[in-house]
Amino acid sequence: MSALERNNVTLHGALDGPPMMFAHGFGCDQTMWRFVWPAFGDDHRVVLFDHVGYGGSDASAFSESRYSSLEGYASDVLAICDELDLHDVVFVGHSVSAMIGVLAANARPERFARLVLVGPSPRYLDDEGYVGGFSEEDITGLLDSLESNYLGWSSAMAPVIVGNPDRPELGEELTNSFCRADPAIAAVFARATFLADNRRDLAQVPVPSLVLQCSEDVIAPRPVGEYVHDRLPDSRLVVLSATGHCPNLSAPAETVAAIKEFLAE
Amino acid sequence: MSDPDGLLDESAEDLFETAPCGYLTTALDGKILRVNRTFEALTRRSRVELLGTRFQDLLTRGGAIYYETHHAPLLRMQGSVREIAVEIVRPDGSRLPALVNSALRHDDAGRPRVIRTTVFDATDRRRYEQELLAARRREQDVALELQRGLLAGALREGEGIEIGVAYRPADKGIEVGGDWYDAFWLVEEETLGIVVGDVVGRGLAAAATMGQLRSALRALASTGFEPGPLLEALSEFSRRHSVGQMATVAYVEIDVRLGSMRYACAGHPPPVIVEPGAAARLASDGRSPPLDAHAAWDDRPEGACRLAPGAMVVLYTDGLVERTDRPVQAGLDELLVTIDRLAGEAPGAVASSLADSVAGAGGSRDDVCVLVLRLRARG
Repeated sequence: MSALERNNVTLHGALDGPPMMFAHGFGCDQTMWRFVWPAFGDDHRVVLFDHVGYGGSDASAFSESRYSSLEGYASDVLAICDELDLHDVVFVGHSVSAMIGVLAANARPERFARLVLVGPSPRYLDDEGYVGGFSEEDITGLLDSLESNYLGWSSAMAPVIVGNPDRPELGEELTNSFCRADPAIAAVFARATFLADNRRDLAQVPVPSLVLQCSEDVIAPRPVGEYVHDRLPDSRLVVLSATGHCPNLSAPAETVAAIKEFLAE
Repeated sequence: MSDPDGLLDESAEDLFETAPCGYLTTALDGKILRVNRTFEALTRRSRVELLGTRFQDLLTRGGAIYYETHHAPLLRMQGSVREIAVEIVRPDGSRLPALVNSALRHDDAGRPRVIRTTVFDATDRRRYEQELLAARRREQDVALELQRGLLAGALREGEGIEIGVAYRPADKGIEVGGDWYDAFWLVEEETLGIVVGDVVGRGLAAAATMGQLRSALRALASTGFEPGPLLEALSEFSRRHSVGQMATVAYVEIDVRLGSMRYACAGHPPPVIVEPGAAARLASDGRSPPLDAHAAWDDRPEGACRLAPGAMVVLYTDGLVERTDRPVQAGLDELLVTIDRLAGEAPGAVASSLADSVAGAGGSRDDVCVLVLRLRARG
């Protein structure tokens, strides 16, 4: 299957410009970037996509064995790069996709020019000598939350959500559609995300990186962003005045400015 | 509207404070700016405690992750969210299951300013949902047990044969599938029946259907039905008792001493035969529609062929050859090539490698079941 279809790749901006790829984090889809990517469209070929199971991706391509670790998602990123024959990619990854970008760049350095890591965390669970911010019990609680929010995913809605609307009238009932996924898929992605440990991958990152850290982020607290910055061979850390975990939505102007400054270096 | 008794003489403040739901206004980062009395009662916290706290900090930690990764971004993208299930942690550690709706309020220039959120006690509803979820999990467990029991009862090897099987459930989905297999001696050490079938549907119903077809097929085989008439009789059983309509079955009877086989396939992909020194081939005779597919179908044909010493027979379900991105014939061609490559291996290894080859090629959308039988080369 074509990776472009599987991951609902959409291309925008200057199609002959240098490529800039935006990857959404756990929970929602490529719509997360809609306030950010237009600022780069004039001089970049903007590549947006959805992780399998989210947004307009082909959920039937989901397989638990492939997507139960972040490597599976990184393989998808590389498959997109291959199909579009992208080189010198500026990869912007939000949340877990920051680490997915790290894995992809480590596997195939020749594809990437720079990484922008928005709210990265190489490990969410606390460990000896490391504070990720979460315990295993917290992650179980998240899985419970995902399960309790099953309700929008009734069997009548599922065909509409996976992009096969033989009953178009149901489309109007869709709510929360940007952050909707089959709960079984969401649980696999949640485990892959929150139980991952990518601390050792940071030291190998072959390209200059920008760490964008929000000032009050429950998911990726500041010491975690500083840890990432310390371990990366070539990085700069920018602490945004934006709070929360999604500066791409809550503070797009500040996010854009920080990325532009990094790219101008 | 006339209101002579003053029933609607309510102040905005009273409407807010004693609304039949928790009501709060927060800043965009979730910091609580205002709450009503109902919210104080639900959370068992005073407004003094609540003001300045972030709403997400009142939730379980897992709920806070959900808030940051779903609730907050959705609110920014679509301006409102509804029916989000959360658990609010009270000061004594008890949890209040709640449903939450939020809406962004914008200023005159269209910039988001504050979030308004309503909170509904969902204790009873959540309990009921959890019972439903538990019931669903129980059903899945039972179906899985049933299927395991059915599949485990097969396979008694003998002197003249070796058998290997591999069963890989589809990656997607949590319910057990409808693939099954069986192998039994009709005449000990002489004649053997092997079966691979696929019933429509998944879960408990599919597992039960599988069990019925398996028993019926064994019974028919033991009373002397030959492959074609056996599938005819099985189809009649299916029609008469409304069990396993449109199920597919491949049934092969092998005479181990003579080195011959007779077979019939009801809507099922053809068996593959590999003889030492020859390329793998499809046993394409004996084809008829799935069970109870046409009421008027009678006289199901069967095929027959010789098997050289050391020959291998491979039965499998369509999950092995059917993929959405290529025609079935391409899948069959590829299967023959793969089997040729594996022909030197032991039956168990052939079965596993075949089943894994599908998983390796992007994951199986369907269950995959493979049964491989090899006649021992005569010494």
